[in-house]
Amino acid sequence: MNIAYFPGCSVHAMASEYDRSTRLVCNSLEVHLEEVTDWNCCGASAAHSVDHVLALELNGRNLAAARRMGFDKITTPCAGCFNRLKTAGFELKSSGLVKGDIPDVMHLLQFLTEQIGLDKIAASVTRSARSLKLAAYYGCLITRPRKIAGFDDPEQPGSMDRILRAIGAETVKWSHKTECCGGAFAASETSIVIDLAGQVLEAARQAGAQAIVVACPMCQANLDTRQKSIEKDRGIIYGLPIIYFTQLIALAFGHPVREAGLRRLLVSPLPLLKKSGLA
Amino acid sequence: MRDPMNPDYRPMRLDEIDDSLQKEIREKCGVDVEMCMECGKCSGGCSNGHVFDYTPRKVVQLVKLNAEDTLINMDALWICLSCHLCSDRCPSGIDTPRILDYMREKAYRKGVTTRPKIRLFHELMLSSVQKSGRISELPLIFKYNWMSGQYMKDAILGLKLLLKGKLSFHSPGVKAKEDIRRMFSGSSAKRTWGEP
Repeated sequence: MNIAYFPGCSVHAMASEYDRSTRLVCNSLEVHLEEVTDWNCCGASAAHSVDHVLALELNGRNLAAARRMGFDKITTPCAGCFNRLKTAGFELKSSGLVKGDIPDVMHLLQFLTEQIGLDKIAASVTRSARSLKLAAYYGCLITRPRKIAGFDDPEQPGSMDRILRAIGAETVKWSHKTECCGGAFAASETSIVIDLAGQVLEAARQAGAQAIVVACPMCQANLDTRQKSIEKDRGIIYGLPIIYFTQLIALAFGHPVREAGLRRLLVSPLPLLKKSGLA
Repeated sequence: MRDPMNPDYRPMRLDEIDDSLQKEIREKCGVDVEMCMECGKCSGGCSNGHVFDYTPRKVVQLVKLNAEDTLINMDALWICLSCHLCSDRCPSGIDTPRILDYMREKAYRKGVTTRPKIRLFHELMLSSVQKSGRISELPLIFKYNWMSGQYMKDAILGLKLLLKGKLSFHSPGVKAKEDIRRMFSGSSAKRTWGEP
């Protein structure tokens, strides 16, 4: 199966382990990712914050490029890019600014659950993630706003939980699946991130999770890189690894730790993964 | 009826209120604030509502009251996370983040902000997009910390990330530079995200 692939700036650079593990997983599932030709930044979150037209134009160019490549579907592993691309597609279509079909934007999580299916994922598992107790964290933009995202339940989503269970892990019931991590304020207003990401870490700890699994480079960066400051702020040692869901699938499919880029995470998941036989 | 505790009080007369902002929001953003039933679900769920000066429910009310100045000068405008929880839970489907984006754009054009650092970050990010069509994270964060006078902010974290190979100095930009240039010099509104 072929699909247009939009990595985005974060996944291309700081979160390249997300890109690498996505490619590994798709390769194993016989999905060919075709990178959108000469794609540009989706503008999140500066463009929509201060220049609505610019935000539309930036994403319109990406959607047009995917359409020129002959694709009617485009997938991205980043929740920010997903939200901006999908919102632009929605607005361009509903305002009548663009005639004809606009490629349907899917977050990677949606693509894997709806187009590939849990059966196929489960069938490719060579090392079960048994004994791992995980908190699936979706963040705000994969399922919201529901009329645009059109995927899963915006309050209590379950797609990532089902994927993690398909590779053998256990997932916890918890309160903060779709709460915001502080998003784009990582650098510019760090205190907001310490506050909000701290609430997410605390909820995961209280639910008894051994690690938090994410599907967005912003969520990963905020929960992982700010964890030390949050621990200082709250006086609690969390030590929770923040792992991309594709990294865990890649391990379960038998790919080695190095290829899935697990050493690039700040809070090391290796002790936990070794204990469970995945690494 | 007179209120003895507040002698200046008199009931608000709806026909005295200018509804031009309400009409503007309906036209430009496609958001009809008249649909608001003041249930407060938006503010109850708001991720950052506990630090807002005006919660989403109040934002909608301010539009109804034509309080453009208050909206443009409020702090919530700049620290809204755009997490879309308010609009998603609204029984009337009111897109409050869109109202905030619209008002922020106005505030930006007027040069008003309560959070100069957040505005600076937006500007630096867009100037990076303008230059190469993509964002290079490391130069962006260095530049931001430097220009906001926080020379040592995240120095240790930056070093750790560097050792993990997470920060690359060079990332290839978009080849079709003229596409990006055209977007930034859009005919409808002249945009300049050059050096701030």
